[in-house]
Amino acid sequence: MTLAPDYEELARLAFAYLERQVWFQSAIDASSRAQLELVTSRTLRSSLPGLARLVIGRGEQRFQVLVGWREPAELAEVLHGRESALLGPVFDGGEPVLAYDAIADDELLLELLVHVTGGREHASRVRRVSSLVSHASLVYDERLFMKCYRVLERAARPEVEVLLRLDKVGFNALLAPVANWREDGLDLALVREFLPSALEGRLLALTSLRDLLAHASSGEDGRAHEPGADHGSPPPGTDPDAECAAAGGDLASEMRRLGATTASLHLALATAFGDRPAGVSTFAGAQSAVAAAGAPGAAQLSAQLAAVDPASAGRTIRLHGDYHLRRVMRSEVGWLVAGFSDDPLYAASDGSSPGRRGSAVEDLADMCFSIHRVAQEALVQRPDAEAAVATVLARAWARRNQAAFLEGYVTTDGVRRLLPRDPSVTELLLAAFEVARELRYEATSADA
Amino acid sequence: MDSPIEPAEVTAYPHGWHELDDDPRWYERAVFYELVPRSFYDANGDGIGDIRGIVEKLDYLAWLGVDCLWLLPFYPSPMRDGGYDVADYWSVAPDCGTVDDVRLLVAEAHRRGIRIIADLVINHTSDQHPWFLESRSSRDNPKADWYVWGDDDQRWSDIRVIFCDAEPSNWTFDPVRQQYYWHRFFHHQPDLNYENPDVRAAILAVVRFWLDLGIDGFRLDAAAYLYQRDGSSGENLPETHAFLQQMRKEIDRDYPNRMLLAEVNQWPADVVDYFGDGDECHMCFHFPLMPRMFMAVRREQRFPITEILAQTPPIPDGCQWGIFLRNHDELTLEMVTDEERDYMYAEYARDPRMRRNLGIRRRLAPLVDNDRGVSELLHALLLSLPGSPVLYYGDELQMGDNIYLGDRDGVRTPMQWTPDRNGGFSRADFAQLVLPPLMDPVYGYQAVNVEAGTRDRSSFLHWLQRTLAVRRQHPIFATGGIEVLPADNPSVLAYVRTGSDEEGERAVLCVSNLSRFAQAAELSLGRWEGARPVELVGRAQFPVIGPDAYVVTLGPHGFYWLDLEGRG
Repeated sequence: MTLAPDYEELARLAFAYLERQVWFQSAIDASSRAQLELVTSRTLRSSLPGLARLVIGRGEQRFQVLVGWREPAELAEVLHGRESALLGPVFDGGEPVLAYDAIADDELLLELLVHVTGGREHASRVRRVSSLVSHASLVYDERLFMKCYRVLERAARPEVEVLLRLDKVGFNALLAPVANWREDGLDLALVREFLPSALEGRLLALTSLRDLLAHASSGEDGRAHEPGADHGSPPPGTDPDAECAAAGGDLASEMRRLGATTASLHLALATAFGDRPAGVSTFAGAQSAVAAAGAPGAAQLSAQLAAVDPASAGRTIRLHGDYHLRRVMRSEVGWLVAGFSDDPLYAASDGSSPGRRGSAVEDLADMCFSIHRVAQEALVQRPDAEAAVATVLARAWARRNQAAFLEGYVTTDGVRRLLPRDPSVTELLLAAFEVARELRYEATSADA
Repeated sequence: MDSPIEPAEVTAYPHGWHELDDDPRWYERAVFYELVPRSFYDANGDGIGDIRGIVEKLDYLAWLGVDCLWLLPFYPSPMRDGGYDVADYWSVAPDCGTVDDVRLLVAEAHRRGIRIIADLVINHTSDQHPWFLESRSSRDNPKADWYVWGDDDQRWSDIRVIFCDAEPSNWTFDPVRQQYYWHRFFHHQPDLNYENPDVRAAILAVVRFWLDLGIDGFRLDAAAYLYQRDGSSGENLPETHAFLQQMRKEIDRDYPNRMLLAEVNQWPADVVDYFGDGDECHMCFHFPLMPRMFMAVRREQRFPITEILAQTPPIPDGCQWGIFLRNHDELTLEMVTDEERDYMYAEYARDPRMRRNLGIRRRLAPLVDNDRGVSELLHALLLSLPGSPVLYYGDELQMGDNIYLGDRDGVRTPMQWTPDRNGGFSRADFAQLVLPPLMDPVYGYQAVNVEAGTRDRSSFLHWLQRTLAVRRQHPIFATGGIEVLPADNPSVLAYVRTGSDEEGERAVLCVSNLSRFAQAAELSLGRWEGARPVELVGRAQFPVIGPDAYVVTLGPHGFYWLDLEGRG
């Protein structure tokens, strides 16, 4: 049985469906919602169960709805637990069929993968993962990941653009793009590799910290540590840096590799998007942030920044822009960089602006701040009796791993050309960007 | 003339023997047990372990549940490298016994369902071997080209020196012949010249001699270094593979159910070449896996293991990896990065005496601070990862080592059988013993010995014996595929061994906690939704797998083997 869908009818059902979605209400104002119209439509599968792609919108705004339809008798099972995906009945001259959000239908999602990849990829299983409202996230056979966009962008999506261009210049420390579904000048879906065994860097960092803090606080090395009377001071006879280095869970080697991967990323971004001389504006934001910080040493740092000759401040490149331990993944093939996302929620969460240009030092400062933050996170819920020792060790851990990360970065061939010629200027910028990052964090209280 | 075979005196152990099965692929399912004959048991009271001593302990080994013994070299030797400096391929060192003793050992082992493989040193001989003595005597004697000679020490200068602690060069000047000879190992171990067809024929004749005696196969020592070529690393050359294939062909033709196990300390991608197309070696050791198991436990995260698994290519049908925790050599760190080596030294060998060449000369128990939980976890990994496990004598007792002994003797001290004199190893005077048995309060024979271990049903020895029995019941551990599962906790390593048997599809989930703290992990087991996992050791049923992530909680260094088909 086939259906030649009445797209106007489907669109009306889709409008009503969208009205019921909370995310949609926040994505478009009420007056525009009332004026939505069907922009384009396309049947992806006409035999039952049917599948069509609708793009609806108003003005510059565009939304994608994937609509499926089936006979009523079989739909109940398909939508079990996802009944809210139902759009309503449509008629094909004879018996009515029911239309619904196709994201709820495994069979149609498998069909969608074939369509999006031009028939190159087939899968036998699909699962939906919790996702941000701007898109649906789908995992196929635990090896492919599809982001099917609901909110469409007229301009090139930074996420898609960055992934495709980095892949093109041979940067392979990422989840490689497999297919980009683009029609009518709109990115509709992106398929990339999925490495289920890859883990966020933050989890590795917490594992390392757990080992260190337990090792030290329990006196497993044969030395029972008593918290120092002077809060924040290491106990007598303790060298926190040495303890960090001696801990079995020491992460420094991993951080060195992450630094090298970051350097490769920056070189690839420079190749893919070009690099330019730094200018005053490169660190103007950091300068004002430092000035506003009011912290001890801020005035001196601000004065030092003011004395920096922009011409000696290295190059600007397209940045990752949201670089921290949740955006890097450890996999069996090494570190992978993720989170080249243009999702508005990222920007809203901490004020970062993915995809912008700036000094490579900004990404480095973001990661160093993230290392510092995760060390703070590990201190949460430590017993008070251990707090003094644990705090000292966590600080030493952060110092050690920041240093390892930066060492891995600067010792990568070719990357120094992106940095200020004078290493002291790099350190200065690093400090300033870290202050700026910390202020952003404090303003939003986002996770590191 | 062979002497008559006398029945061996044996000690009764509670579990029975099993038949030697007529299976040409037995090695895929076997648990190997490596032992040093001179250190295992001294039957004749001269202070040195011998072949008859092994015969006397076969019932213990059958009880433990091993399927094949790997004997370190027992050939006549000046013993400057633990017998790997062979002076005569055709006989047994007098202190170890006789050829008839070997014949007896094979017969008695086979009666108990145990096979025997022998170390065969094919790359080099001792400098006391008659072949070398003749070769060095002049430049034109009949064996002048049986070794690799040169007028200077410059050729192949890019080839690495393996025993870098002891040897400055792979060449040594011979004052008799007034030439340099080539050696990849010690200078007293000249390399045979495999370009010479007479050498190849002689080695093949040695192989046939021992196979005729009933030996079930060989562990081929230093198999990667047989040939040299200008501009090469001198390792893994095509000519080497061609010779090994010739050896395999002759064995397959005339000696059914025998096998070759190659010692090739290389990366898996290079080692797989030694399987050929299933027409070269039956087994190869997987060297890089071993240090990474230790690294993973110390780091409390799985990536050292999963990384090397990801780098391990598939192997031809009928081939198998040999995997191990420790052996008679140092814990070799050749197949790790410099950074990883520094890490391993820092974590496992802070005392420089513990280090040797590019490795750590320590036994398992001291390496893990005598932590039984870690020992059990490491053995659980060993017995459940793809490959045939190779146990090292004494590790089943958690024996210690003596880092003050020279070379690798510290990990080759006498097996500890009883709390009696000399640990029950020998009736000889202490001063006569091949090596001093351990006598320290933690690892000494008074505390750690087979007698105590067998009496105490909660001992590590009993735990291992039971665990080996469980593994034997589930051949999927030996021959199944492996699929590493994602886990949201880096300290948890989870993989599924998959395959099929006469009852259909099988899947066993192996999940391990690499941390010394309790851990939880969510596993994606959607494919087995509806199945009720059954724990293989205690047969306890676990909650049914539902549509959501399956939560597993593990105690410190804990592990589970769960049958996902619910058949436990």
